[in-house]
Amino acid sequence: MKKYLGSIVSLTVICLAVSVLLAAANGITAPVIEKAEGEKANAALLAVMPEGKDFQEIDVSAYTLPTSVTGAYSEAGGGHVLRLATTGYAAGLTIMCGVDKNGKITGAACISSGETLGYEKTYGERFAGLAAEEAALVATVAGATKTTTAYKKAVADAINAATILSGGSADIRTEEEILRDNLAAALPAGESFAKEFMAEELQGVSAVYKAENGAGYVFVLGESFIGIDAGGNVVSEADKETQAAAKAAFTSHTSTVLSEIELSAYAGISPRVEKAYRTASGNYVFELSAAGYGINGEYGASGKYIRIKVSATAGGKIIDCVTLEQHETENVGSACADPKYYEQYRGKTAETLGEVDTIAGATYTHRGYSVAVSKVFEAIEILKGAKR
Amino acid sequence: MKKETNLSVFLRGLLIENPVFVLVLGTCPTLATTASVVGALAMGLAAAAVLVCSNVAISLLRNLIPSAVRIPCYIVIIAGFVTLVQMLMHAYLPALYELLGIYLALITVNCIILGRAEMFAGKNGVLRSALDGAGMGLGFTLALLAMACVREIFGGGTFWGLEIPFISNYKIEFLTKAPGGFLVFGLLIAAVNAITKCRAIKKKDFGCETCPSAGACAAKPCPAADENLTTKVGMTEKEEKENGNG
Repeated sequence: MKKYLGSIVSLTVICLAVSVLLAAANGITAPVIEKAEGEKANAALLAVMPEGKDFQEIDVSAYTLPTSVTGAYSEAGGGHVLRLATTGYAAGLTIMCGVDKNGKITGAACISSGETLGYEKTYGERFAGLAAEEAALVATVAGATKTTTAYKKAVADAINAATILSGGSADIRTEEEILRDNLAAALPAGESFAKEFMAEELQGVSAVYKAENGAGYVFVLGESFIGIDAGGNVVSEADKETQAAAKAAFTSHTSTVLSEIELSAYAGISPRVEKAYRTASGNYVFELSAAGYGINGEYGASGKYIRIKVSATAGGKIIDCVTLEQHETENVGSACADPKYYEQYRGKTAETLGEVDTIAGATYTHRGYSVAVSKVFEAIEILKGAKR
Repeated sequence: MKKETNLSVFLRGLLIENPVFVLVLGTCPTLATTASVVGALAMGLAAAAVLVCSNVAISLLRNLIPSAVRIPCYIVIIAGFVTLVQMLMHAYLPALYELLGIYLALITVNCIILGRAEMFAGKNGVLRSALDGAGMGLGFTLALLAMACVREIFGGGTFWGLEIPFISNYKIEFLTKAPGGFLVFGLLIAAVNAITKCRAIKKKDFGCETCPSAGACAAKPCPAADENLTTKVGMTEKEEKENGNG
């Protein structure tokens, strides 16, 4: 027993002595480490606000800020530095953005990113010294549209957040919330809206929404949302020209009749084109099957085609494009069902089809999709009789 | 048995009992931190500091620590010094602290340190233990530096982070990777054997009786304590002498 007691006492005394020694060392080194860590954190803040002094972290949960804002710091001069998390194509972007007391951007930098393209590394430099209105005009980068669009949105969020933190007010609704509010305001009788596929080219109209309760349609003309009830009456306030354009679009859109074309009667049409229709005005609508990763991929391919619906003018310009069905890899090729991807095909011709941004990490999907859409132009020529 | 001089206690860790190339201890940090000379030097000096301090502390306490709990006591003392070194490096050498990362904390379980505590500091006086720690620490540092020089110069085309003209155009990047580390390690062990003409410490000289865990398996007869010590597989010491080997 004495032997065991001696061992226990010895080990305990050594542990206590070591603990005391480490506590003393911690007392000396902890303030130094804390100061160094603070300086390191400040370096990231100074990178986007070189003139900033005495940064203090703000509890963002105490404010209603844009959801992308994950952290905020105030500085002695009345400015703010915001940390934002946003999404480019698929991976997360963490952006630091400094906004001075006058609402001007002092700097923006991407501090971490899983994006593959790398444009985000230097894109923030374009915002330095700009006010909110000027920042909105900064162009996105071709080939990295989604990444740079997300970046721009994050910078806009930073400006709004800085305004709110300074005691002002700002519109911090998300794009979806703004759209929903605009649709409800344009057609108050409508309840939940669904985007419509445009078979006909509607002059000046960028999108059509149909109220699911049958109350009518909303046509988006530039910045204006024009509601038209089921009887064809314009219910939104707008100038006469806009009203007339909306009415014309309503008539054209609701009177569209599709006549199916017997494809077997035409030689040379790609098997990617499954069905074709002709509209009353001579435009075409196609249902396509695209061989993306589901067909051509090696690992985990679903064996299923992507199904696409495309409308195009007889002159060979795409009016609308929508993904009807896809079985591509989740979170990679599945981006082909994202409107931000397939709406890029709008307005494209055989010559400009290559301008569509690829899906990061999903070359097969994008290539298969683009090839299928390109068959539309060939099919139109054949259907018009030029190659019959 | 002739008593070693203090100088020989210090010097033996440099080559004839070099912990890395002869005793083949501390292989993990040796391979992990020798891709750069800076990392190797920092790891070597940090381990040497812990080695000297823990040897001194264990030597001072050797008569107070009961044999049954000596290993836990040694580990607590070593871990205490490692944590102390970590705190100091974090505070005053943050760049090196980040460079070494987890390998700094892993000094606690470095065989060299526990090995010297058990083999030497627990049985010798303070001065000799300090000299042993300093010699072994310096030997460890020099071994790491030798490895790092080969790997950084020929693998990275740089020295101390500075680009070396000509070599940087023909660098063998493989050497900076783990397999390259093993290759350089093997070549340097061969070089040390060649230099010492295999007169460095023999395996039987640091057999089970010097193993830190020997106490834990004391219930079984320790082969090293056996008169017919097996020095080579399937051959006893007696047979070796008869066959002219050894």
